[in-house]
Amino acid sequence: MTPRMVLRLAVRDWRAGELRLLLAAVVVAVGTVTAIGLFVDRLREALLSESTTFLGADRVIGSTRPIPEDFRDAARRLGLAQTDVITFPSMLFADESTDARSQLVSVKAVGDRYPLRGVLRVAGEPFGPAGVTDAVPAPGEVWLDSRLFPALDLAVGDTVALGYARLEIARVLVGEPDRGGSVFDLGPRLLMHIDDVPETRVIQPGSRVGYRLLLAGDDGSLAELRAAIEPDLAPNYRWRGIADANPTIGEALDRAESFLLLGGLLAVLLAGVAVALGAHRYARRHYDHVGVLKTLGATPSDVQWGYLGILSVVGGAGVVTGLVLGGLVHQGIVAALAAYLPASLPLPSPRPLALGAVTGFVCLLAFALPPLLALRGVSPMRVIRRDVHAGAASQAFTYGSAAIGGLGLLVWYSGDVFLTLWALVGGVGVCGAFAVLALALLRGGRVVGMQAGSAWRLALAGLQRRYRENVAQITIFGIAIMLLLILLLIRTALLDEWRAQLPEDAPNHFVMNVADDEVEAVQALLATHTDYDGHLFPMIRGRVMSVNGEAAESWAETHRRGPDGPRLRSERNLTWSDTLPDNNVLVEGAWWPEGTDEALISLEDEYAARFGLGIGDELAFDIGGLPVTARVANTRRVEWDSLQPNFFLIFSGGALRDFATTHMTSFHLDAEAKPFLNRLLSEHPTITVIEVDEIIRQVRSIVGRVTQAIELVLGLVLGAGALVLVASIQASHEARLKEHALVRALGGTMRLIAGALTAEFAVLGAFAGVVAVVGAELTVTVLRSQVFELGYELHPWLWLAGPAIGAVLIALIGYLGTRKLVESPPVLVLREL
Amino acid sequence: MNDGSAESPILRARAINKTVPTAEGDLCILDDVDFEAAAGESVAVVGASGSGKTTMLGILAGLDLPSAGDVWLDGEEITALSEEQRARVRGRCIGFVFQTFQLIESLSALENVMLPSELRGDAAARDDALQFLTRVGLAERVTHYPRELSGGEQQRVAIARAFASRPKVLFADEPTGNLDTATGARVIDLLFDLNVESGATLVLVTHDAALADRCNRIVTLEAGRIAA
Repeated sequence: MTPRMVLRLAVRDWRAGELRLLLAAVVVAVGTVTAIGLFVDRLREALLSESTTFLGADRVIGSTRPIPEDFRDAARRLGLAQTDVITFPSMLFADESTDARSQLVSVKAVGDRYPLRGVLRVAGEPFGPAGVTDAVPAPGEVWLDSRLFPALDLAVGDTVALGYARLEIARVLVGEPDRGGSVFDLGPRLLMHIDDVPETRVIQPGSRVGYRLLLAGDDGSLAELRAAIEPDLAPNYRWRGIADANPTIGEALDRAESFLLLGGLLAVLLAGVAVALGAHRYARRHYDHVGVLKTLGATPSDVQWGYLGILSVVGGAGVVTGLVLGGLVHQGIVAALAAYLPASLPLPSPRPLALGAVTGFVCLLAFALPPLLALRGVSPMRVIRRDVHAGAASQAFTYGSAAIGGLGLLVWYSGDVFLTLWALVGGVGVCGAFAVLALALLRGGRVVGMQAGSAWRLALAGLQRRYRENVAQITIFGIAIMLLLILLLIRTALLDEWRAQLPEDAPNHFVMNVADDEVEAVQALLATHTDYDGHLFPMIRGRVMSVNGEAAESWAETHRRGPDGPRLRSERNLTWSDTLPDNNVLVEGAWWPEGTDEALISLEDEYAARFGLGIGDELAFDIGGLPVTARVANTRRVEWDSLQPNFFLIFSGGALRDFATTHMTSFHLDAEAKPFLNRLLSEHPTITVIEVDEIIRQVRSIVGRVTQAIELVLGLVLGAGALVLVASIQASHEARLKEHALVRALGGTMRLIAGALTAEFAVLGAFAGVVAVVGAELTVTVLRSQVFELGYELHPWLWLAGPAIGAVLIALIGYLGTRKLVESPPVLVLREL
Repeated sequence: MNDGSAESPILRARAINKTVPTAEGDLCILDDVDFEAAAGESVAVVGASGSGKTTMLGILAGLDLPSAGDVWLDGEEITALSEEQRARVRGRCIGFVFQTFQLIESLSALENVMLPSELRGDAAARDDALQFLTRVGLAERVTHYPRELSGGEQQRVAIARAFASRPKVLFADEPTGNLDTATGARVIDLLFDLNVESGATLVLVTHDAALADRCNRIVTLEAGRIAA
């Protein structure tokens, strides 16, 4: 056959509606993968740029010594953007009088280009609404944290003294990208221009100063710079990249990306099933067509290449359309999520487009090739004798090809052969189990059907008679519905997990340094103006000196597991309590009785494991120069994400009750209620308030974005699932209709036929629903416990909803798909079939 | 192989056997059948249902292979050819008219008629097709699709398609079986007229005695054997 003829046959088949299903399936497969690919690509870009804001730069060189000029020169030669930052603690005085209020502040002096990544957020008044600025304090100006204003009784426009320099307060500083580290370690921030530093004369030999050189540019130049200066870095200079910045959000994102790709793969596999069904139907409808072509002189090679040509045309058209559709869907998502995404997203790489195109062709080759290649073997005798075997594709070839294609894509997407093999074992197992269940349901249905009305009897008899096809269909429908249910349940699980971790009213402020005599007043203020109803935790700093009489250093050397992390002897925040804190769970041992005089200690379980500590061990502490010894009474698990005050080490009252401590707690405050902090701090100027609402806002925006992406994937998978249903119903409806046309010719009413068909599809759908629910419950239980680390949960509503959804959905699609032919006279139906 | 004799028949079958396996053992459909047709001759094959007419037609036309025996078409032993080669012979030498018309639904009348020539790669496929459609009286219906044509019209398109490939042998399988008497008669007139014009050999399988009588010769099959 000539290419022109192939093209014409393809166009004719398209016009006759023969190729639409096949094309739609390819378009969905390609579109889904492309949209997800493009979106993930850009999401990654966005997240990358967001992570760089944690550094304020792409890379940072940090040190306690001034940055050598050589480093700057090298960066300049490579065309990298750079700016200097100097940090140091200093006392800030409200004015120059001797009795002026003063406070220890954490000074950050920056150059004009600061920050290279991310933005500064400022406000016009303390705790006022924040806005973004691209400026930095001009020489002679400072920007101060809100909490300094009430504490030092200051207002914007006042002049403050820092060392020998007198600087004017120009703005209120709300947020800086590279605040970094633990928020508890920082004093309130003062931001100033780097040119004013010498005038302060604060930096003297021996001062605690941090020097940082912020760098930004392309990865290649940054790597080149690092290679060039590597020999000079150690031991005094530290090179920091994104990986060193706050990684807490990373895990949720990795999980979300796996989910997106998993969802995408499900959509592709569903579309693959639709392609297979569409191609089988197309091939079956072309047996006679091929027979005629062969009698007219078409050779088997002509037939083979002709249909491969048609497949290529469909593939080409499907891939192009799918790429365009994927691009549009992805544009739609970007537009919908514009508020979350950075203003100028870099263009996506071409990889997602290649991913989509390859997926389309692999899908076609793996799922559609076997039935179309089998057309080569159709005997021309079919033209004169309909009973001649058409020579359909061998099952081994059909399923083998689909399995290889599907697995190939799975390996490609997941990059994990082991996972893929498990998926294969699981897939075969699921199909087998589903088929057995489907057969049992069909047999049971027939027995029940004997007692039913005529339409139902006809429907159930039909289902039982064609049990092979119907078992296959129930299995396919079942898997499609199961995948949808799994996605729905996992989405719920993911959202639940995130919501549980970060509820709307999660604490977003910490108050610390509350003295003993202020506790009641602060507690009363918090109780009146916030939703706070807990108590203040006593807090005192101390360090472990020895374990069971052995010096802490040598104990740690022999017992420590894992190389990184703080040392056993590091100074830590300690507290004491008579009761187990709310969000802590005992792992081992027992909590002490209230009011005990015994010196006992409770350890966070991972801390205990890291340092090889267990129940009964005796820990000796140095607390404010006094020795305290306590015996480990229990270990407990702490929800660090809860934003409640959490401690590695909690003593019994007997150990610490008599020490003078400060107190701390956390509470939730809405943005509009923030002026309350002015009052809190002016009445208690020595306490410290730390705002974490900015960080929470960031996390929330990411969670929101990921959620929307998941909803999108769910939508795409639903679309692919619907395609499978349509393809599957189309694939079998000719056989059904022929039978029903005969019944009509024998006197069956149209109503009986329509009823029987609808009933048949409804029963098929309900059975598929039952099968799907069993599969979904099992899968989700495994996923919840193994992947998401959530508890076991049964979904009773699913057992009603699954079969109901299956019955309604498939009856509806089946009814719509067969209505036209049911309504046409039986003679036409019989003649056409 | 070509025996090169001018008197030799265009179509010859020798000692054809066809058996098919069934649950009860092998079933013999054709038993030692010999057949010949000279160039330009018209031969009717008649017989009761199940006598093996259609099977014989399929084997003579190279659509199927016999279990034993050989078939020579235009000097070539088609039973020794592969399916690929037989298809080329069919395209070059044979035309078909079927009881169920066998037009391709997705192609127009013109495209259906052009199909055999296109498969051969003929450049003039379109002109030839138009000429034959005009000859069968369907010049006004060339763009119509099979479902838009009556049964008689569809069979006329099939006849135009069969002759458009300028066959040496035309096989017709119950060509009036799906048509009413009057339409059937008109179609048969057309078939015979075109056959005479083209000089092709006609092998016609039919139940219809009157139709068979219009052929030069009648071969009767009884239970898979040629009746004496």
